Amino acid sequence: MNSSTHPFEQEEVMAYLDGELSANRAASVAAHLRECAECAALAEQMREVSSQLTNWSVEPAPANLTKNLEASRTGHSSVKVKKPNGIAAWLGGKLTPLSGHWAWGVGSAVALALVVLLFTTRRSTTYLQTVPEAQLAYDRPRSRTESKPWVAPASPSHAPHNASQMAAELYSERAQTSENLENDLPASRGSLPTFQRDEPMIARTASVSVMVKDFGPVEASVRAIAQRHNGYIANLNSALPQDAARTLTATLQIPSAQLEAAVTELKQLGRVDQETQSGEEVTKEFTDRATEQRLLDVLREHTGKVKDILEAEQEIARVRGEIEQMEADQRALQTRVDFATVQLAVQEEYKASLQSAPPSTTTRLRNAAVNGYRSLVESVIGIGVFALQALPTLVLWGTVLFLPGRWMWKRFRRTAAPQS
Amino acid sequence: MPGCESGSWRAMTSDEQLILELQQGSDGAFSELFLRYRERVWGFFRRRMNDTGQAEELAQETFLAVLHGAKRYEPRATFRSYLFGIAFNILAASRRKSAHDRTHAAAAAEEMPARSGSNPENVICIRQAVERLEAGEREVLLLREFEELSYEEIAKILYLPVNTVKSRLFRARMALRDILTATPGSLGGRK
Repeated sequence: MNSSTHPFEQEEVMAYLDGELSANRAASVAAHLRECAECAALAEQMREVSSQLTNWSVEPAPANLTKNLEASRTGHSSVKVKKPNGIAAWLGGKLTPLSGHWAWGVGSAVALALVVLLFTTRRSTTYLQTVPEAQLAYDRPRSRTESKPWVAPASPSHAPHNASQMAAELYSERAQTSENLENDLPASRGSLPTFQRDEPMIARTASVSVMVKDFGPVEASVRAIAQRHNGYIANLNSALPQDAARTLTATLQIPSAQLEAAVTELKQLGRVDQETQSGEEVTKEFTDRATEQRLLDVLREHTGKVKDILEAEQEIARVRGEIEQMEADQRALQTRVDFATVQLAVQEEYKASLQSAPPSTTTRLRNAAVNGYRSLVESVIGIGVFALQALPTLVLWGTVLFLPGRWMWKRFRRTAAPQS
Repeated sequence: MPGCESGSWRAMTSDEQLILELQQGSDGAFSELFLRYRERVWGFFRRRMNDTGQAEELAQETFLAVLHGAKRYEPRATFRSYLFGIAFNILAASRRKSAHDRTHAAAAAEEMPARSGSNPENVICIRQAVERLEAGEREVLLLREFEELSYEEIAKILYLPVNTVKSRLFRARMALRDILTATPGSLGGRK
């Protein structure tokens, strides 16, 4: 095939097959291939070569690639992977002086890694044995189906290699220990918060606004209702103005199971102006906090293979702190679930009254006499107060102005005397 | 890999966008890039080296170089060519440094990669046929066929003119055709 018989070079046919030509040029080559058997055969052979090459597949990337890369990323150093060629091949390639140093370096790195590995394993095992079992029960996810599953590392080795794996094993061990506790010690459930319930955790709230005609017995009735339903009054405020409607606002904590009955009784206090009820799903909040968030944080925050021991200790301290925080949060959530909150507002139907009887003349005279006496006393006291406040100033300025005033007075009299 | 956040939204993100996110410190972007190119980078080295351990090591170094050198990436070229450019440089450096490359190469002729879903005999034929190609032509062929780089991308990686790449690729394919044609069971003697 040459340019005298074919409008395109062979390389251009190849470029057409590789998609390297422009659209116009590709269309021209395609048209030529339909007409030229020789070029079509060449194209077919190239396709066949490419097809044959696709059979050259390699085995999947080893799992160690991911693991070692992660270790190198966190450790900021390149981890040399182990050569699988065996001792004979290794010795065969390492007998020169230059490569001997390299071999010693690799050997030392592997030995150091093994020492760190063994030490790390011992430290993590020791910790897992010392975690109080009572704490572990709180850390178990509510439902395994709702929590994100922990995917085990690809490494076949059971020994943890870094802080993340130690934390993961810690989590796994806790979950298992918690399960065992529940299976073996059912009596202990009573003393521990039971977060592993199947039904959703709903925190219920209600709001009732009532208008009453007789405000007097309202407070007593509210207290009685709360007591009757095994609840309590968390907050109560009464406003008793003389010339306006009296009001009472209260926050009641009622066991969720008796919320409906309590609200019904509260509505019977008078005419209901407004009533609302709502339920907040807090199950997800608990699940997220207890499992996913902590584990994801642990996985994201690990720092390196060389510092595994120190990192593991820091992780453990952090996890302990989280457990304590979770206990507090879970108790608060449990309280919200067990006791519904009722916001009660009671307002009196205010009726304005007229004072029809005016005061008597004697009373008016007596009041006038009393007011006159008060005015007299107030004026005397006022003068005395003024004198006490102004006297020092008057004495001062009188002393200062006495001589100039006297001189001017005498001068005035002297001036006036000749005229007279 | 821990820290991987390959959600559906990230799966829709282009390689170039991911490397830009990596420049901003996104750990999930690197994880996604690693998942996308783990097998291809591994295959890049595995097809060029018979020592699986060394191939693994160099693949690891490649991704570390991407991670640490992400800030130097400029969106003038595709991430794929950028990645395999790094891989090729690491491969070249490894070959230069290794005083035992020939020793390994000699020993490697007996060590064939494990196959998955391919006929081992056919693979051996192809591998041996490729090994018989001239080094420059072989590299162009591999970059084109397996790394699926364009002529221009190959030219940039190998510091060659595009026409040289084209001619080398053509010669490599023709030579490979000849070799495989001479091999029983390959290409059926079509020439």
